[in-house]
Amino acid sequence: MTRLYLSNDTSARAAGTERLAQAWASAPGLELVRTSARGAFFLEPLVERDLPGGRMAWSNATPDDLPNILAGIGGTPVNRIAFLADQQRVTFANFGMTRPLALEDYGSLGGWQGLERAGSLSPDAIIGELKTSRLRGRGGAAFPVWSKWQVAKDAAADQKYVVANADEGDAGTYCDRMIMEGEPFRLIEGMLICARAIGATRGFIYCRQEYPAAARTLREAIAAAERAGWLTDERGRFHLEVFVGAGSYVCGEETALLESLEGRRGVVRAKPPYPALSGLYGKPTIVSNVLTFATVPSILARGGDWHASLGTEGSRGTMALQIGGRVKQPGLVEIPFGATLAEVIERFGGGMAAGARFKAVQIGGPLGSLFPASRLDIPICYDAFSKAGAILGHGGIVVYDDGTDMVELARHFMAFTADESCGKCTPCRIGSVRSREILEQLQAGRSRPGDLDLLADLGETMKGASLCALGQRAPYPVLTAIEHFPDEFR
Amino acid sequence: MSEPVLAAILTRHRTSPPNILHTLLEIQETLGSVSPGAIPEIARSLDVTEADVAGVLSYYPELRTAKPGRHVIRVCLGESCMANHGATVLARVRAHLKIEVGETTRDGRFTLERVYCVGNCAVGPSLMVDGEVVGRVSPDQVPALLDSYP
Repeated sequence: MTRLYLSNDTSARAAGTERLAQAWASAPGLELVRTSARGAFFLEPLVERDLPGGRMAWSNATPDDLPNILAGIGGTPVNRIAFLADQQRVTFANFGMTRPLALEDYGSLGGWQGLERAGSLSPDAIIGELKTSRLRGRGGAAFPVWSKWQVAKDAAADQKYVVANADEGDAGTYCDRMIMEGEPFRLIEGMLICARAIGATRGFIYCRQEYPAAARTLREAIAAAERAGWLTDERGRFHLEVFVGAGSYVCGEETALLESLEGRRGVVRAKPPYPALSGLYGKPTIVSNVLTFATVPSILARGGDWHASLGTEGSRGTMALQIGGRVKQPGLVEIPFGATLAEVIERFGGGMAAGARFKAVQIGGPLGSLFPASRLDIPICYDAFSKAGAILGHGGIVVYDDGTDMVELARHFMAFTADESCGKCTPCRIGSVRSREILEQLQAGRSRPGDLDLLADLGETMKGASLCALGQRAPYPVLTAIEHFPDEFR
Repeated sequence: MSEPVLAAILTRHRTSPPNILHTLLEIQETLGSVSPGAIPEIARSLDVTEADVAGVLSYYPELRTAKPGRHVIRVCLGESCMANHGATVLARVRAHLKIEVGETTRDGRFTLERVYCVGNCAVGPSLMVDGEVVGRVSPDQVPALLDSYP
């Protein structure tokens, strides 16, 4: 019996692993094991096999490659794939090797060690470990994680909640999806550690509706973890549920997410009070994104000092970067903070796709700034981005080629914001529509003198007077497009 | 007159506090859409106002007031797909089906929507058909791809 490994991740399937699995389903003497994804999506469909010399991989495989794979002809040792070997993976260390729903796979590669260590610590000691680690929230706001936990822990309440923000709405990002589909137990473990630290007995995973496979996998994973006893400790049972959203981008904002979780319109709440004090149903609630929770188990297992030893002064640990757009090698890259944007695009992205010339790169999703070629020396860390008036966001990196029409791109961003604004505050609701209209007039050749000043003025108002990051950040991609490519806006 | 199916769902969702979104999503999953005519009955059952129900129903893009076509095609316009000519893919889908975004073909086969990112950015441009992601879609493949759905 020959065992072949094929990823069951949505992107791997979309690239063709599902087609291979169907084609080979009845091949004699073959066992197909469906795994998480390595994140080297440019190589998918990727077929792997254990040979005496180690794990071998056949990339961009077609159904006709089976005889060669079975004969051991061709293929590359996995540890010689530079895209993977050059990374320093922690959270994604086991991706590509494990079966997502196999508890024995997760446990045999270090799973649950963080939770077990947390079980031997007091809540204050768990939070102390996070403080030492200097972990900042990976969802975009980059707030020190321990500080939120401390507030929720110190609050007196009959009920506290742990909520995973799995509404990974920033276009260009997919690491949360990979975690939920590939190693759901890691997310669950991180949430359990948080619950223990703050004294919560209920949790929710708010998963976006665009990720049906993630929601399915999570539900099965919760049931499996529950059967194996992981959801119960001496405090009793932790009730964990998956809630699937209904297609609203702003529900990725933590207070809008809580409104949506309570079943209402996903409209942003004014802060303070912050959710750590008054969150779901007015109770202390920790809302963190999936990648943040998934980072916690390693910190508990290996110690806060270990985590703090990676990265840069203000940005400790590793970051999951998701490279997309017009590069040769799109995929997931986990490395310590500090590499420059140019290094990441060249070394991991492999440079531009065939026939494409670099024009601009956008980091941080639809609210992130655009950088031209002259600005690629910026190091990937929270402080450098903040100093440049940009955001690292959730680590999405989208590269645009020289065929990109910047006016159309700018219009697209404002149309997106106008579509997705929750409508609660005027600057965002009206400002996005007016900005879109100005750009449409420009496209139609009907712009009036002063229109670009008006656009900048609207942008400043949105930045300064909107309630949440959607309105505050929406002007950035548009204004940086004008700043770096002024000729196209004349 | 209330449908028994609707009534059964509403009975299950008489929780305290009620969850309007949860309720509407389950109604849609079972009946295909949430009829605006059902708003009064839903509101009565959950003990909320009709405005509360109508507000949630109109807020979320995924909640529908009319049944969609047999297949829902959602073309991704996230940034990575945009960089890889997702807009051209959308144009080809519109041309082939002869409908605009938000419309359903006359024969009831397809409903066309756009979506801002399906998390398939490394394998784009993407579209989603009935919840399954199709990647690396070239505009020229669009007609054959669509024709493969009954």
